[in-house]
Amino acid sequence: MAELLEVNGLTKRFGGLIAVNQLSFSIRKGETVGFIGPNGAGKSTVVNLLTGYLKADDGTIKLEDRHITHAKPWQRAHFGLARTYQIPRPFPELTALMSVVTAVLCGKQRVNQSLEDAGVEATQYLEFVGLFSKRNILARDLTFYELRMLELARALATTPKLLFIDEVMAGLNPGEAKRAVEMVMRAKRHFGLTIFWIEHVMAIIMDAADRVIAINYGQKIADGTPDEVISNDVVIEAYLGKGWRQYA
Amino acid sequence: MVDIEVKRDRVVLRYKGRKWDWTIEPRYWRNTIFWTCVLLVFPAISYFVSPGLMNTMVSANIYAAIAIPLSLMTVGTGRINFGPNFYVGIGGYTAALLSIHLGWGPLATLPFAVIFSVVAAVLFSPLVIVARGLYYVLLTLLLPLVFLEVTFIYTGIFKGDVGLFGVDLLVQFDNVKLNFLAAAYISAGIMLIYLWVVNKVLKSRYGLIMATVNDDEEVAHGIGVHISKVKIISFVCAAGMIGVMGWFLAHYLGTFAGITYLPMTYMLKILLVFMVGGRAQVFGCVTGGYFIAFLEMILIRTMGSFQPVAFPIILLILLFLLPRGEGLFGLYRKRHYREYMPTIHVRR
Repeated sequence: MAELLEVNGLTKRFGGLIAVNQLSFSIRKGETVGFIGPNGAGKSTVVNLLTGYLKADDGTIKLEDRHITHAKPWQRAHFGLARTYQIPRPFPELTALMSVVTAVLCGKQRVNQSLEDAGVEATQYLEFVGLFSKRNILARDLTFYELRMLELARALATTPKLLFIDEVMAGLNPGEAKRAVEMVMRAKRHFGLTIFWIEHVMAIIMDAADRVIAINYGQKIADGTPDEVISNDVVIEAYLGKGWRQYA
Repeated sequence: MVDIEVKRDRVVLRYKGRKWDWTIEPRYWRNTIFWTCVLLVFPAISYFVSPGLMNTMVSANIYAAIAIPLSLMTVGTGRINFGPNFYVGIGGYTAALLSIHLGWGPLATLPFAVIFSVVAAVLFSPLVIVARGLYYVLLTLLLPLVFLEVTFIYTGIFKGDVGLFGVDLLVQFDNVKLNFLAAAYISAGIMLIYLWVVNKVLKSRYGLIMATVNDDEEVAHGIGVHISKVKIISFVCAAGMIGVMGWFLAHYLGTFAGITYLPMTYMLKILLVFMVGGRAQVFGCVTGGYFIAFLEMILIRTMGSFQPVAFPIILLILLFLLPRGEGLFGLYRKRHYREYMPTIHVRR
């Protein structure tokens, strides 16, 4: 498989704190890459750096041989990067349909597409995530699960190549979480996506990911298949502390 | 080439791989036609019944015509500008100075009033990118006040204390009542054009994109909206439109004084029009403009010297009682709800 995203020596400092330190990895087309690490490891900072919300102090990011290190978030969205948020961030004053319509209009440039045409296309994404019947409801009135699905529809509507998913399970009950994970996997198959998935629930990552990257203190500590990473001593130590063997 | 196609219910325009649809549905025109007729018939009736009302109507139209672009600016930048009267001052002084010193008429000064307002807006447009919240409020609040100080410091140019006199009038009939009638129609015309243009923009794809900036600009950025471009364009266009009202005031009254339009009192009146009518609701600006102008006139006639106290008290009570953020127009809209755009029904 060809490389879709290449990250080399990515570094981010907040004053004296090094949040991300010389991080390098690559993502191949069609892969589902799990991104794990204990709390405060720098996972969300990495996603913010990759999507352009934060500027990297050092390092390079390449998307399909195109340098995007200094590109703005809107340019990265046009190049094919989309994300969902850990806590859903809908457009509260817009209906579900209009939220997705904007993503259709502002994501990848479509030829000969009017606002009405964008509305028709947006209904397909809402239908896909199961929100068609809620299309005329204001986003602020949707339930938490529906907001997660709306975010997914909004991200899909920008026609991404690489989708960053930031903790899809957070705030969902087990039944909703199962449906949400199935939905993400269905979107991957249906739209031919590559997924970069941050998740705290290890069971999900083990099932869904082809490869897992683990970080701690902003540095990569493991990169391999889910089984390799979960049995890696450094990863276990990062989660459980240095004395974990006494209790094993 | 521009390709225009007229269908039964819509006009479709295609240009360089882009496409725009305009829905033409006469059932949506009823209210528009009715209220436009009311606005156009009202000055003619006032001309015969009570000529003083024409002046109040001009004031109402001016308030509305400043508040309408302010709505566009608010939605497009996601911030409330507390100094819209700064651009009234720029447009007004440009028109007045050109008219007095070069002897130019209203039509000659109009483009310059717009250009100067736009240039001033471009110079201050970085504010909408770098400042937000209280900082933006303070910075925009300061602009007209600083300009007012400038008019006093350079009093030889601006005549800060008394104002500039001798500006060419918009229309000059022998009959004073006819002058007022013409001004009422011109101001109503400008206000209606603003209303139509801004409403069209806000209901188009560009309005939708502005709405996302207004709701959450970081998320909008992430889905591909060039937020700086959207914010600067809406800020500059709205400022140019507000500048035209400065031009109108200068040529309508034949004089322009910063002391009248740049202090807090005038700015607060505009912001009250904006809030009482309905925050960032274009039709609410007209409701608010007429409500404030007529309330002020009625209080002056009935309460005399007590008016300056009663006027803000009534408005404060209204701000508390009216639906939050929706204003007077919100009351109407709640009873007559209409979709943001016609719902797309998909047969299942």
